[in-house]
Amino acid sequence: MKKKQIILFTIVASLSIIGCRKVDFDVVDRTEGEADFTKYIALGNSLTQGYADGGLYEEGQSQSYPSIIAKQMSFVNSNMGEFAQPMTSGNGSGYMHLEFINNEIDVISTTDPNAYTESSTWADWGTNEKNFKYNNLGISGIKLVNCVDLNSTDEKINHLFLAGVQGLFNGNPYSRYLDWGGNPIIPFSEPPIQYVDHVKSSGATFFSSWLGNNDVLSYATSGGNEGTTDLSLLGLGVVKFSGLSDPTEFHAKYDTILKALYDMGAKGIVATLPDVTSIPNLNTITVSGLKETGWADVWITDMNGNVRVGTDNDLIILSASTNIENGEGSSQSNPLDKDLVLDEDEVALCQSRTIDFNNSIVSLAAKYDFAVADMHAYMTDLKSGLAFDGINFTPQYIEGGLFSLDGVHLNPRGYAVIANKFISEINAHYGSNIPKTDIGKFRGIVFP
Amino acid sequence: MKKIVLSILLSLPFLGQAGGFQLNVQGVRAIGMGGAFTGIAYGPASLFFNPGGMTSIMGHQFNFGVNYISPLVALQTDVNDNIRQTTGYATPFHFYYTGQITNKLSVGLGINNQFGSSSSFDDDWQGKFIIQNISLRTFMFQPTAAYKLHEKLSVGAGFVYTSGSFSTEKAVPLGSATIDYGKARLEGKGVGYGFNLGIHSNTIDTDKMKLSLGFDYRSGTKLNLPEGTATFTDIPISLQSTFPATTGFSSQLKLPSVISFGLSYTYNLTEDFSAMFAYDYNYTTWSSYDSLNIDFVNENTPDSKNEKNWQNVGAHRFGLEFSYQQKYALRVGGYYDSTPILDGYVSPELPDADQFVLTMGLGAKIGNILEFDVAWIHQDAEREASLDAANFSAKYRRVADIISFSTTIKLGQEKKAKEPSI
Repeated sequence: MKKKQIILFTIVASLSIIGCRKVDFDVVDRTEGEADFTKYIALGNSLTQGYADGGLYEEGQSQSYPSIIAKQMSFVNSNMGEFAQPMTSGNGSGYMHLEFINNEIDVISTTDPNAYTESSTWADWGTNEKNFKYNNLGISGIKLVNCVDLNSTDEKINHLFLAGVQGLFNGNPYSRYLDWGGNPIIPFSEPPIQYVDHVKSSGATFFSSWLGNNDVLSYATSGGNEGTTDLSLLGLGVVKFSGLSDPTEFHAKYDTILKALYDMGAKGIVATLPDVTSIPNLNTITVSGLKETGWADVWITDMNGNVRVGTDNDLIILSASTNIENGEGSSQSNPLDKDLVLDEDEVALCQSRTIDFNNSIVSLAAKYDFAVADMHAYMTDLKSGLAFDGINFTPQYIEGGLFSLDGVHLNPRGYAVIANKFISEINAHYGSNIPKTDIGKFRGIVFP
Repeated sequence: MKKIVLSILLSLPFLGQAGGFQLNVQGVRAIGMGGAFTGIAYGPASLFFNPGGMTSIMGHQFNFGVNYISPLVALQTDVNDNIRQTTGYATPFHFYYTGQITNKLSVGLGINNQFGSSSSFDDDWQGKFIIQNISLRTFMFQPTAAYKLHEKLSVGAGFVYTSGSFSTEKAVPLGSATIDYGKARLEGKGVGYGFNLGIHSNTIDTDKMKLSLGFDYRSGTKLNLPEGTATFTDIPISLQSTFPATTGFSSQLKLPSVISFGLSYTYNLTEDFSAMFAYDYNYTTWSSYDSLNIDFVNENTPDSKNEKNWQNVGAHRFGLEFSYQQKYALRVGGYYDSTPILDGYVSPELPDADQFVLTMGLGAKIGNILEFDVAWIHQDAEREASLDAANFSAKYRRVADIISFSTTIKLGQEKKAKEPSI
């Protein structure tokens, strides 16, 4: 062979190999594994409903973690219908936002003159389509103990909390989209409908449940105020609307809900409860932080009404900032009100009750062979910082990137992180391979 | 609620810095032979591979080579089945001159691109907060002298002046009502100094066969980047004191040293045919690249410190050359290259992996003055690894072809009648 021919041959051979070189990965075969996602429902509270920034509003709701999970599930199940949520429009109930005023970032609450106030449609939200079968059954503020009625007093209190009594007592506005049946307080009315009844009639083939947070959280964020209300007029005695729930009652009621799902043949996943005492709402204004700004001591009122000097083991709730600016807590004669502080004894109560509840959740999941997303461990890991795809997260208020402005609920990027955690555990338990969502596509805090 | 004054400490790690990617394409004849050239004294490229070999190069010789590198890189994550880098092609070149001053003394000058890398992704890709685009280029200028201590032993040494530049872009995970995320762009350039030292020995040199040994040490280089420019765009107004439109930064890039040992054995099969076998062992001290730190001039901008923790690695290189009438040559070779990047530190911009690579090449002389060489490398590697600091894991697949071409011009060889056998 002549030299030129050799060279030509080499060049042609090289180019033809280059021309057909393959680098792309094949499309992954997707499977549901042992699960069936055809009808996925989400049980839960505000976190599930898509509540954020102190309100339920359209943009936040449209990025709820169950809606993210459902979208990802549709990659492994093409028969999934639309994931229906009871959508608000625009500002919904109104929500908090940030503004940049005098070179400072200000948190604008819903009562501020510059607030993002409730939309004109909020007053009627959820009242028209009560027979619709929504997939997202999240209700802001609901406790697990509100979901099942064990006796007639229970029935009345839960109905009162969820539906209210017209003209007398406002029910939970975030539960308006469901039909709660007749009022058990009124004789001869239709029987009430329990939360668990909505679960039973859902036709679910798969569920996620992140119920139980409010059984601790409402106590914690009210500084240990149990919300004691005298309802003797209604024959219900004294009711503690924000007390810590009873562990035995919690266990029995969660068992009722999971058994109902098990009996329906549904598969699913339950999530444990994070340690509420580590959320930014309770860790942004701190005793040592106030001391750094020149306070000699921070005076608090503990759960027994005693006034004492606070330490970093006493957690000040975020909404105390106005009181603090007015000097509350700066002296023994002007201490922080006990509702503004979760003192160290209350912190211990919250933590031990959370452990009790989580033990129930894990053992009940094992009983019915449901998957578990251990959000308690996950959020504990977050304390030392977590990263996803190059975004760093910490539990800090605003700059931590995960929580919304209320310091309790997550922002859309945070909900996307939660959705991926659920997806991992579903895949691990059921042998499915639902793709994860791209966290970077979701917004974090909206900075001014 | 009233004012919350935030002392925002938003860290912005620059994990995806290309610290180095050694471009083993510094001589086309060597490329065809798997890069094994430390024990070979032939042609002006010896100035780079082993300046000790320069004394064997007759007259005045000029070599100019260019490489066309076209990498294809794909990723698979638990979010996306397939992500393609949008990286384009690169054309690193080399130029060498060597000249005999006396029978014992030779001098030379080399210019090449010893380190470089570039990677690009779609701006909105999954790992945009790690890396969007990166490019690192280096130019090395190496004036060199070599001296024949003994018929069988020569030494050479060169001073290496390095000029480097890099730019990188990544998304900043902060948004406003109108902007989804910001962007950071860093650009810097700097210079560094090093040296290249080589020893070459024609241990056995008979009519029938020849055995040569070589040793080379190319020093590491600290590339100081004292006056970089950082540009932040699409940052929310409230955070612009932390990430201003523009600020300076300083950093330092440590390029590794390379220690090579090589041998070549030539056997004349017949009057017309000869065969040569060459072997090199290269040891690259990538551990110099232990961390990458960026100090911003603007006080509010948090500095970035990143552990890279690369490892020193060795590479084995083999080559065979068959030549006919010392005019035409066919070369094949291969090398086994270990990656310096441990699992847990693999960034999407540089998905390096252990690999065995085959090479081939051709050479032809036209008269006594001109020589042409071509070579081809095909790399194909796969790796599944993570970048722990960013919590990003992926399966990587990288296919790259390198086509190289060079011309050598030889002048003033009449001083010595016999050219050394190839």
